[in-house]
Amino acid sequence: MSSSSAPAARGAADPSIQLPWLRARVRRWIHSRQPRTDTLLLTQRNVYILPTGPGLMLALTLMLLLVASINYQLNLGYLLTFLLAGSALVGMHRCHGNLRGLTLHLNPPAPVHVGQAVSLEVRLSNPGRQTRHGIAMALDGSATGAPAWTDVPAQGDATLQLAWPAPRRGRQSLPTLRAQTLFPLGTFRVWSLWRPSSDVLVYPAVERHPPPLPAGEATPGHGGSAHAHSSGEFDGVRAYRRGDPLRTVVWRKAAQSFATGRDELVSRDLLVSQRQQLWLDHARCGAPDLESRLSRLCAWVLLADRLGLDYGLRLPGVDIAPDQGPAHRTRCLEAMALC
Amino acid sequence: MLSKLADRLAHLPREARDTLFLLVVIAWVVTMQLGHIPVWCATLAFSILLWRTVLTWRGAPLPGWIPRLALLALTLAATWMTHSTILGRDAGVTLIVVLLALKTLEMRARRDAFVIFFLAFFTLLTHFFYSQSLLTAIGILLALLGLLTALVNAHMPVGRPPLSRSAGIAVRMAALGLPVMLVLFLLFPRMAPLWGVPGEDPRGRSGLSEEMRVGEIAELVLNDDIAFRIRFDGEVPPQGAMYFRGPVLGDFDGVRWRPQRSGFPPGMALPVDLQLQGNPVSYEVTLEPQRRPWLFLLEAASQSPDLPELQPRMTRDLQWLTQRPINELLRYRAQSHVSFRYGPREPVLGLQDYLELPPGFNPRTLALAQEIRREHGAGPDAAPAAVAAVIDRLRTGGYVYTLEPGVFGQHAADEFWFDRREGFCEHMASSFVILMRAMDIPARVVTGYQGGEINAVDGYWVVRQRDAHAWAEVWLRGQGWVRVDPTAAVAQWRIGSLDRLRPPPGALAGLVGAFDPTLLAQMRAAWEAVNNRWNQWVLNYTQGRQLDLLQRLGWSSPTWTDLLYALLAVVVLASLGGAAWQLWERQQHDPWLRLLDRARRQLLRHGLPDAGQLPPRALAERAQRHFGDGTFSRAMTQWLLRLESWRYGRDPAEPLATLREEFKRLPWPSKEHR
Repeated sequence: MSSSSAPAARGAADPSIQLPWLRARVRRWIHSRQPRTDTLLLTQRNVYILPTGPGLMLALTLMLLLVASINYQLNLGYLLTFLLAGSALVGMHRCHGNLRGLTLHLNPPAPVHVGQAVSLEVRLSNPGRQTRHGIAMALDGSATGAPAWTDVPAQGDATLQLAWPAPRRGRQSLPTLRAQTLFPLGTFRVWSLWRPSSDVLVYPAVERHPPPLPAGEATPGHGGSAHAHSSGEFDGVRAYRRGDPLRTVVWRKAAQSFATGRDELVSRDLLVSQRQQLWLDHARCGAPDLESRLSRLCAWVLLADRLGLDYGLRLPGVDIAPDQGPAHRTRCLEAMALC
Repeated sequence: MLSKLADRLAHLPREARDTLFLLVVIAWVVTMQLGHIPVWCATLAFSILLWRTVLTWRGAPLPGWIPRLALLALTLAATWMTHSTILGRDAGVTLIVVLLALKTLEMRARRDAFVIFFLAFFTLLTHFFYSQSLLTAIGILLALLGLLTALVNAHMPVGRPPLSRSAGIAVRMAALGLPVMLVLFLLFPRMAPLWGVPGEDPRGRSGLSEEMRVGEIAELVLNDDIAFRIRFDGEVPPQGAMYFRGPVLGDFDGVRWRPQRSGFPPGMALPVDLQLQGNPVSYEVTLEPQRRPWLFLLEAASQSPDLPELQPRMTRDLQWLTQRPINELLRYRAQSHVSFRYGPREPVLGLQDYLELPPGFNPRTLALAQEIRREHGAGPDAAPAAVAAVIDRLRTGGYVYTLEPGVFGQHAADEFWFDRREGFCEHMASSFVILMRAMDIPARVVTGYQGGEINAVDGYWVVRQRDAHAWAEVWLRGQGWVRVDPTAAVAQWRIGSLDRLRPPPGALAGLVGAFDPTLLAQMRAAWEAVNNRWNQWVLNYTQGRQLDLLQRLGWSSPTWTDLLYALLAVVVLASLGGAAWQLWERQQHDPWLRLLDRARRQLLRHGLPDAGQLPPRALAERAQRHFGDGTFSRAMTQWLLRLESWRYGRDPAEPLATLREEFKRLPWPSKEHR
């Protein structure tokens, strides 16, 4: 229930309730009633409707028109009043129908780092024969993000992107979303709440200017002399020399250099790589607390990955053996997210 | 130039286009008020709208609050000067029109736009104070649709949808709202005004008035407005017998004829003593609003028309009066006898009132009276001969009926009898009665309507203001009051013929008339028949007719609470219908979702923990985990994946029916095994 605690202080969900703590409680209770699902069909049961301010104003106008018709005995006045009332009634039904029957589907969001916004991609499918105009999606209870508007064509789909600032590291459940419409007359507000069941993994923040990668460690079995040879900077690659086996070529680097027009190949320095291993260790990264250590490690993992190096990760209780590649990187990032 | 303008219009920013559209709608609302609002008000409103249009066109910023406040103050001052109040109906209409225009200068937020809509609705309603005709209704409907279109358009925030789409939605909404309107209109109980009575229109309306001055009815003759319509149940009586009685004028001061104010005590008032002869004529009258407490009935009606609310009563002069002025369209049924006798048969003192003549007027007419008396003798028994002699003089003396007799002087009767020898019904009736009185024959002027014409389209008998008429009644011994129509003696065609002196037609009518005279008459008849339908069904829909409707629906003696019950019944029925439709719609829901839901429920029945609203793939994973690897699990997974690709795959290969069939044949594990 992380989503409900975050917007507790801000936002304006129900204007009829003035006390902020009560409002937060009511909202939490309402949210907790929504089942978590990634595909939500909006039906009579989960679409709510209330008149808006202008709607109440229209009701007042209708009352005044009726009183004027009675007092001046205007039969045509009755006709006007009742036609307007009938249209407003149809408008109410149309407004409710604008959401009813719509299917919301959330594509599982991609992981992000702390400080970045999770991009929630919502697909709205309209099985009906009428275009649904003016449908807004927003994070419920958030005063910050403006709602995103779209029209959903008849028997078609529309996609909306919502940005949700990830609150903190770890596996986060998604916030409650709100689909809303005022179409066609703006006299009624029709909305539905939706708690997607997907969650999103939030990696640690990336340190902006991390120190250089740490020195490699000697591979177990090669003795302690490796430290003496270390140049302080990890240096696991060198220019290709004739005779280097093809599997030692760092193809990623090669591709980069081809792309820039330099026909240079880079080989892994077998001596070094056999002797030394890059270990990214939370205890040795030189940051004071867990979060800043993770930030630094995160920056290093991304750096090492960019350089195409083998790296291992040591976290409290987790050791990930040196390796490289996207899968390895993801594994490291996930481990840090959940640490 | 024009194409450039159209091009510019097509490429206006969305907001500017929407604003221009709303301005057009508001301009239409104000246009319909022309004629009811002072000229300065119309000028000001249109200037403001034009200013706003220019600002929108150029994309210039809106004026600040100082000019707006100044305009408002100016309006209030001008309203005060025009109406010497800023309250009240006409002042209110003037104010609301300017306020509506002024508010467009302040159209910034959504709230402002809504204020404009509601102001516009009120402005539309005020139009009905002045006219409730069919044309008005059409104009108002257009304005209402325009306003709804603007409202719908304001709630399509995405892109630049064409206005025609908003208009389509608005029209559809209004069309779907029609049944609601109809039910409410039919069943909403009509009640008396909640407070006050609508003030009488000070401008007055054309129609008969309570007094007669020479020249006044000439204006009415030129007035083609409809006074009332009649539908006869059976045979239509001859046109010459169609006299519809209005005020009876017995008091003459030399210039004006007014209702008699008898100097005798009430006990000596003339008895009515109405004797009816022949078969009654039954008919239904639809009376246009006239702001007078007069009911027009064919002479002479013995029974009160069925109008309990107005409590009609007959005066001793046979005129029918109501409790209050009739400000709305009114319909009533009545029965009349064309031939009748009434009034005292023998001379009574009360008849002296009808012999009085003011001294110093019409000396030559008095001399003429003496001359006729000398010839035919004096006394009550010689009266019929004297009347016949005067009628004969009218017929043969070169008297002419004209619509333009010119202005008469102080001795109007003298001028008529001797100098001009022309005039219309009013001159003739007045001069005739003066002559009669001068001969000691009790006489009085009766005003009302005479004749009319049939509308060939719907068969209604139509009586117009130009059919307003004045005739005379003389008292004859043994006969009572006898109608004598001097006009009939002069111009037989005026009474009992369809040919009339007509005022020259307007430009358009003249054009059509020149093309085909019968076409014009036909068009007019058709239009008036439509208008009559409108009057019958819309404007004259009163509580009485509401109760009639209920009676026809099966209530034995409906009251207005029954109307509420009927309304409630309709609401309940409509809700039930809506619920049933909703249920049906749910049945008809997306077949794919229904199939998925069925699979979900079946899996739940076979022990899979509640999966919520999982999509097929996730459901398949969960099922595999739950049921382990087996025939069923594999088949289920495969089926679910196919279900998924049916919906989300590029091209669904198989019909959904196949999937539904296969779902039934899935090797579900038997329940004992669980």
